[in-house]
Amino acid sequence: MVRYSFAGYNSAVTLSVQTARIKVLFFGRLKEIVGRAEDTVELPDGAPIEALFTHYGADHPELARFRASLVASRNQEFAAWNTPLHSGDEVAFLPPVSGG
Amino acid sequence: MNKSVQPDLLVLVRDAIDQAALIRHVRAPEDGAVVTFDGCVRNHSHDRRTLYLEYEAYEPMALGKIREIAQQIHEKFQVHLVAIAHRLGRLEIGETSVFIAVSSAHRPAAFDACRFAIDTLKRTVPIWKKEYFEDGAVWADGEMPPVPMETRVAKPAS
Repeated sequence: MVRYSFAGYNSAVTLSVQTARIKVLFFGRLKEIVGRAEDTVELPDGAPIEALFTHYGADHPELARFRASLVASRNQEFAAWNTPLHSGDEVAFLPPVSGG
Repeated sequence: MNKSVQPDLLVLVRDAIDQAALIRHVRAPEDGAVVTFDGCVRNHSHDRRTLYLEYEAYEPMALGKIREIAQQIHEKFQVHLVAIAHRLGRLEIGETSVFIAVSSAHRPAAFDACRFAIDTLKRTVPIWKKEYFEDGAVWADGEMPPVPMETRVAKPAS
C-alpha cells in the first residue's frame, strides 16, 4: 500500500518528497516578460520564494535581470526572499509600485 | 480611535471617482475640517507629452494595504473618518487617479493624515502605472515597498 506523507509523519515510501502547490502572480512589466499573469507550480515543500523566482528566471533571463528591483509577497503580505512556501500559498512578484 | 460607527470608505474603482461622495462620507457635524487630496493625470512626464495612463493593481493586496493605511491613520492622528479611492484601467489627462478625504475636529490632524495617506500609498500599495506617449509606452519608475528582513528559517526537526 502506498502511503503519502503528511506534515509530521514519515512516509512509508522511500524518497518521497512532499511537494507544495503554489499559485504565482506576475504584475506590470513582469507579466509582459513572462507572458502571463498567473501560473501554478509545484516545488518541494518549504522551498524559499527565491527558489520560485529562480525557476522562472531560468526560462526568462530578462526576468532575472530585474531581481534587484523586485519585491515578493506571500499571501498578500510583503515577504523576505527566504520565506518558505507551503501548499496553497499565493506568491506575487512585484515591480516597484507606482500608484497615486 | 475611530469613534464613529460609520466605517472608512476604501475602494478601488474602474469608473470616474465620485469626489463629492467621498467628501460627504467623511463629513459629520462633529468635524471642523475636511482635507482632500486629488491626484490627477498630468500631461507630461520626463519632458515627454503623455497621452494617457493605464493603472493595474494586485487588487486584493492593494485593498488590504489601503485598509492598513487607514488603520495607521486612526492610530497616529486624531481624525474622524478616512475615504480613499484609487482608480484602475485607462485614465485620460486631467482625470483623477486617486482621491483622499480625511475629516477631523481640528484641521492639523486632517492635513497631516491626508499627507501621510498619499505618501504611504505611493510607497506600499501594489498598483502600477503605464505611461503612454506618442512614440511608445513605459512602466513608470516606482518605489520599492519596505519588505521584512530576512530571518533565519528554522529547520524542521528530523
